[in-house]
Amino acid sequence: MEHTSLLERILRGIALTLVVVFFMFPIVWILMMSFQTNETILRIPPQLVFKPTLANYTALITGKLTTAAGTLDIAFMRNLWNSVFLSVTSVAVALLLGVPAAYAFARHKFRGSEDIAFTLLSFRFAPALLVLLPLTLYFQKLGLANTYIGLIWVYQLICLPLILWIVRGYFEDIPADIEYAYRIAGHSWFATFRKIALPLAGPGIAAAGLLAFIFAWNNFIFALVLASADKQPVTVGALAFITSSGIQYGQISAAIVLSITPTLALALYAQRYLVEGLSLGAVKG
Amino acid sequence: MTAATMQRNRPSGFRISKKVLPYVLSLPALLVCIGILIPFFTSVVYSFQRYRLSQPWARQFNWGDNYISFFTDPRFWNTLEISLLYAGITVLLELLLGLGIAMLLQKRSTLNNFISIMLLMPLMTAPALAALMWKLMTNPGFGVLSYLASLIGLQDFRWASSPSTALFTVVLVDIWVYTPFIMILLLAGLRSLPTQPFEAAALDGVPRSFVFFRITLPMLTPYILTATLFRLLDSIQQFDIIYAMTQGGPGDTLTVFQVEAYLNFFQSTNVGRSAALMIILWAITYFLSNIFIKNWLRLRERARGQA
Amino acid sequence: MASLELRNVVKRYKSQTVLDNLSLSVADGETLVLFGPSGAGKTVLLRLVAGVIDPDEGKIFIGGEDMTDLDAEFRGVGMAFQNFALFPHMTAFDNIATPLQAKRSSQGAMKAGVESVAKLLKIGHVLSHKPRALSNGQKQRTALARALVGSPPVLLLDDPLRNVDAKLRFEMRLELPRLLADRGATVVYVTQDYKEAMALGDRIAVMSQGVIKQLGTPEQIYREPANIEIARLFGDPTINLLDVKPSRDAKGIYVGLSNVQVHLTGAYDATVGRDCVIGLRPEALRFVDEGTPAAIPVTVEAETPLNEKIVTLVRTVRGREILVSRPAGTPGQTEGRANIAVDGKSALLFDRASGDRIGSKNVVNLRSGEAA
Repeated sequence: MEHTSLLERILRGIALTLVVVFFMFPIVWILMMSFQTNETILRIPPQLVFKPTLANYTALITGKLTTAAGTLDIAFMRNLWNSVFLSVTSVAVALLLGVPAAYAFARHKFRGSEDIAFTLLSFRFAPALLVLLPLTLYFQKLGLANTYIGLIWVYQLICLPLILWIVRGYFEDIPADIEYAYRIAGHSWFATFRKIALPLAGPGIAAAGLLAFIFAWNNFIFALVLASADKQPVTVGALAFITSSGIQYGQISAAIVLSITPTLALALYAQRYLVEGLSLGAVKG
Repeated sequence: MTAATMQRNRPSGFRISKKVLPYVLSLPALLVCIGILIPFFTSVVYSFQRYRLSQPWARQFNWGDNYISFFTDPRFWNTLEISLLYAGITVLLELLLGLGIAMLLQKRSTLNNFISIMLLMPLMTAPALAALMWKLMTNPGFGVLSYLASLIGLQDFRWASSPSTALFTVVLVDIWVYTPFIMILLLAGLRSLPTQPFEAAALDGVPRSFVFFRITLPMLTPYILTATLFRLLDSIQQFDIIYAMTQGGPGDTLTVFQVEAYLNFFQSTNVGRSAALMIILWAITYFLSNIFIKNWLRLRERARGQA
Repeated sequence: MASLELRNVVKRYKSQTVLDNLSLSVADGETLVLFGPSGAGKTVLLRLVAGVIDPDEGKIFIGGEDMTDLDAEFRGVGMAFQNFALFPHMTAFDNIATPLQAKRSSQGAMKAGVESVAKLLKIGHVLSHKPRALSNGQKQRTALARALVGSPPVLLLDDPLRNVDAKLRFEMRLELPRLLADRGATVVYVTQDYKEAMALGDRIAVMSQGVIKQLGTPEQIYREPANIEIARLFGDPTINLLDVKPSRDAKGIYVGLSNVQVHLTGAYDATVGRDCVIGLRPEALRFVDEGTPAAIPVTVEAETPLNEKIVTLVRTVRGREILVSRPAGTPGQTEGRANIAVDGKSALLFDRASGDRIGSKNVVNLRSGEAA
């Protein structure tokens, strides 16, 4: 083994470097572009050294882009706000609906409980448009088209199964005896749920919530189908940028950076729960 | 204890019976379930109708016509072919790459852990935004990748805008986003394997390739299966990356199921055909997800056994 | 205080019947021990009484009141779990205080209550610790304290000494009877340890496969076990069981052991010619001089001193192994050939096919001290 060690270490080093470069390069490059003026961006060959500018971010944040041709309104902050609002509210609603249900599924095996859980799970894997296309027609009839309520309701398709299945696992990991002991001590089921089950499943609930937030934030198709400009989150809004005239590549890059920062930050913060969450608890990280 | 104290502990006021309680708790989830099932069955109904939004008066049941016409419809065969091709290529490449990276990072060290956390970043990037990032990098005018391609002699390499390289480009983006998913699952799997067989093999001087194929791979199979099926289910339905990158184009090069259904619905307003496409896709994913869920439940049981 | 009664209780899980039409009543202030192997349904029975699971059929009464449909928090019982079931996110104090909290006791009363029971159980110094910082013994005492603190009229103790070390178990076995007697509560105590059962129980219910096989005082269970299984479970060293076929002669019913006729006292007329098993408690055998009537010649194989008694393994001429127990310090054969005598009055006779003991109240002349 020893004699292959040096060669092997060099090869491993090269392989790892290639991996890191491939996966990190786009993020680094877009980050760099976001600090460049259109002029530097368009220069060939691409510049590695340049004088950074915050103009792109200022334009996005103030919502005003001043060019030679005049002033242009950018609705990006609106998109960002929509993303925050839709994701936070959807996760909050999903937690409100999903945590009690997860508790019921974990603790009281009742007739049909597995069926409901599996229906939700199997639709997590079903094509989104299958449900979305009829929903657009229904939503138009119900007046839910292009409303936050309608979107939040549809976002439950992503958030609820995730929360239900992850949190359920955490509830199942609490020994039933601990809850029995609290009941026998004279407390109602609700007190037991609040004082025993919720605190003990707390980390799992937080992880599921974070993950649901990331998925909601990253979602594209729901809002593309159901929301028009003023309700669109960043994923759809940023795409509209590239086709709208007058917007510069630096601003698109800055918009992308602003749009992916929240999920990346959350992911890094909660990374030790990610494996478990992404595999719905099938793989303990 | 006196009778009086026992009396005081009696239930009073409004109380949910313990038989009903679980139903009450899961009622919202049940409602969401129904909220999914109604549009699902509506889709089934639409798929058996001649239904164009532009001609609502002509809406009527044509029963299997939408499906039957698929047999003679080259556009449909193109959709099926490109969807399977896309899913097959992405999952296979991501699996090989993910496994390779996981094995590179297997040993627990600060550097390895740091890299594995860094690699989460593409996965946490919204696929639609990832596509946008790559679109900027492959822009024929100023894109850094176009420039790099020209350096190695690929002048005028047109990435997603050319029919011959469009699939390659979206597959690349898919690999960039989703390889880390397979990687972290397999890394968790690798790190949870018992060490004794490997130590024994090392002591006996068993060749590396033998260890990999006869020990590592078999023990890792459940993880590989779960990761693969998970990805296959996602990949065959890919929409975000392809739509954000090319909107299914150029031409109908990349009209995978969901993109095709979307275009049918919103551009041709052909609801019936769109629904029929989705039902077929659903049937494929239903089949896959049943295998997946079984395998996943087994792995989940095992994971809780360890915990 | 409160009596406890289960009437025709049935509990099934899927197709398996865990408790099969079980009826049981425990008098006010009595300590009843549920004894039996794991899977016998003891824990399920406790949980039914506590109200955390529901019976499929039958009724449960506490203090004469029908509690069958009442949730756990209204039943006024205290319970200690085998695995302690402490709340991991609360301190020992808060753990113990939960029953008082539920009664909305004042802060002062709560503090006084917890501290007095903690003092009783000698855990006053660890009240501020979380469960994970407690030793097993302290956990066990905390769990017990939590069960006791509200002075519940009915106490359910599910093998509370199972998961503690031998020394602590020994101490607690001495402590618990006094503790329970002081409380005056009606106690149902689950254990798999026959010594615990004998030491703690006013009565013992021997359970197996969801039914009560025998219910009686410790002495009754020991002297008149209902079947071979129970005879084997109670007693250390284990009862000697030998296949025999009783015969009759002028002096009465006898069995042949190593060609020696041992006459039995009791109503065994019906057993003549039947395949039986004779049960001989090691304590009921003694070494005798050669030539004593009905003495069985044996070879001494091994001798093991066990605290206050000495157990000798001997082999009969037919090769059957028998254990003989005698108080330490009394004379006995340590090696070579020896003779043992069987007390025909204390022998137990079982039907070989069914395992049930034959004959009702045969008089046994064991000193009760040996039963413990």
